[in-house]
Amino acid sequence: MITEQGRILELLLSGAFICQISDEEAWRFLKNSGNSDKVEAQLNILNRTLASAAEGDVFFAAYQSLYDNERKQLGSQFQEISSQLMPLVEWLLLVQQANGSDVPVTQGTAIRLNELQTTIEDTPAFAEQLEKISRNRLFGSTSTQLDGQLKLVFNRLTQLGYLLKPNAEKQIFIATGKVEYLYDVLKFIDETEALSLTEQAENAVQQGSLL
Amino acid sequence: MNQHLQQAGLKLLNALSRHAELIMQVYVSGTLDESKHTAKVIEGLCQLGILWRPESDTQLRLKSAVRNLLESSLHDERNRQIDANIGSALASLKTLAQHYKEALYHNRYAEVDAHLSDLTEHVYALTESLSNSVRVLFSRINNEFGYVASIDAKIRENELAQSQVSELLNQLELFRFDELSELAGSNRELRHLLVVTLQHSFSKVIQELSIVQARLLELIGRFREFKGRTQLLKGFVLHMEQKPDFSPVNYSQLSQVPMLFNQAAALIKPAAVDVHRIEHEQDLQQLVGAIKAFNRSTTAHHPERAAQKINVEVQSAAQFAEDKLRLAVEAYFCQVIDSGKRLTALDYYQQHGLEFDPEVWIYQVVGGYQGLSMEEQGYFALDTTGEPHPIYTGNYIIRDIELGLR
Repeated sequence: MITEQGRILELLLSGAFICQISDEEAWRFLKNSGNSDKVEAQLNILNRTLASAAEGDVFFAAYQSLYDNERKQLGSQFQEISSQLMPLVEWLLLVQQANGSDVPVTQGTAIRLNELQTTIEDTPAFAEQLEKISRNRLFGSTSTQLDGQLKLVFNRLTQLGYLLKPNAEKQIFIATGKVEYLYDVLKFIDETEALSLTEQAENAVQQGSLL
Repeated sequence: MNQHLQQAGLKLLNALSRHAELIMQVYVSGTLDESKHTAKVIEGLCQLGILWRPESDTQLRLKSAVRNLLESSLHDERNRQIDANIGSALASLKTLAQHYKEALYHNRYAEVDAHLSDLTEHVYALTESLSNSVRVLFSRINNEFGYVASIDAKIRENELAQSQVSELLNQLELFRFDELSELAGSNRELRHLLVVTLQHSFSKVIQELSIVQARLLELIGRFREFKGRTQLLKGFVLHMEQKPDFSPVNYSQLSQVPMLFNQAAALIKPAAVDVHRIEHEQDLQQLVGAIKAFNRSTTAHHPERAAQKINVEVQSAAQFAEDKLRLAVEAYFCQVIDSGKRLTALDYYQQHGLEFDPEVWIYQVVGGYQGLSMEEQGYFALDTTGEPHPIYTGNYIIRDIELGLR
């Protein structure tokens, strides 16, 4: 039998994000500082360290010290993340607007695909937006049917770890902590590049932009 | 209660029940559609103080007393009004208490009773209005201001509720229990009403308000966070629309890579079942059970296996190739029979110039003789020439065989 610690170590080393939604037991285990120290010691052997994002909502394995190979790996990874940002942000906005409650998608938000589909079908602007998102390289849909596009986008996001489908029979998805990670990335870029995104959005609202 | 007041009250309540549908319609929609009802009915309701016209050119509305009654009975969350006028309520309580004490002092017992019931009414009205205010606040918090859609509206609602809470707390400071207890003096009834009942309600309200305040702060924190996130997302989309070629600097090349972008590559690949471990037998069996055998031939074309024309004809009988050695032995036997003379095997061998090894020849002749049936063996006489083995006794070396007829 594998121990809990071993199981978590395996998760971390296989590149998983551990949050309360994806694996509550593992997340609680890592929240305990004694346990996380043990895991950290084992990760250090492999030049890895336990990293967390979104105020401790998400854990993942990071490199402890960076050499050329690691930098190369991180460089390509960053390219991937930054190329995925735009479709992901558009998707988050679409879900938020179509939900009707104006509440952003956060860790633990449940998305009922059927309800979402009904709203999108009824609103041509949303349908257009969905089509645009699904055409993106990240999803690569060629379907002309709204139903197919939506399913593809959600399945791809489940593969990428942003969503979880707790019941294979039901079309209900739950957002994982990786969504929080995404917000963190956006905040970081906003601050580092001095984009002042919040002010831009505020100004746009005052100027009566369609957003 | 005098007769006239009772009659008027019954008339009002009857009117309410008789026109219940009309009143509920006004309550829900806000104003009365006068074309649907007769002027007489409307006139009656106006006179009873159920409906009123705020200004001459506006539509009829429900009186606030009726509206309040409905709101508090129906626990309608649209009710945002909070009665925070505790100061005046307290002042009237003090006045009534003084009336009561004065009447008691002069022994006017009829007045005493009236004042006491008035005072009781006011005290309970005050406690009810306090608990009602808290309930209204709670019901709005509990569904997170669900009656407004946008986050901005929720934030405004939250701010309103917070100002109401602090207003209520300010008003509650007007409770001076030392004054009240002094006023009540040693009178048991007054003490019960002014000190015990009010204090109980006061402490309960204070306690609940502190919970309300904490929840409100928590909620506004969350709403602000939501708003911040929404703006972050929208701002990013806007920014990308204005500068489509924007791409952030690759932070992984900085000397200090932020942890956010330091994500180690996956190291572990899935493990396999070990065939040498008994613990894995179960898994292995499942794996084997999941194997599906496909008996499809992979080589598609065999020219030699293609359909061909077959000529059906009588097959020539297979000839059994007779052993030459055996034939020679038979010929030797036959010559002995034909000639009727004794003849040694080696002589025959030399006469016919046979090609076999002489030893093999002799051995075959012996074998051929012994292969005959006992009856046939009886016709022949077989003599062997040779000598015993020079060293090992019991062994006889055959040099030649002489065959003859008996």
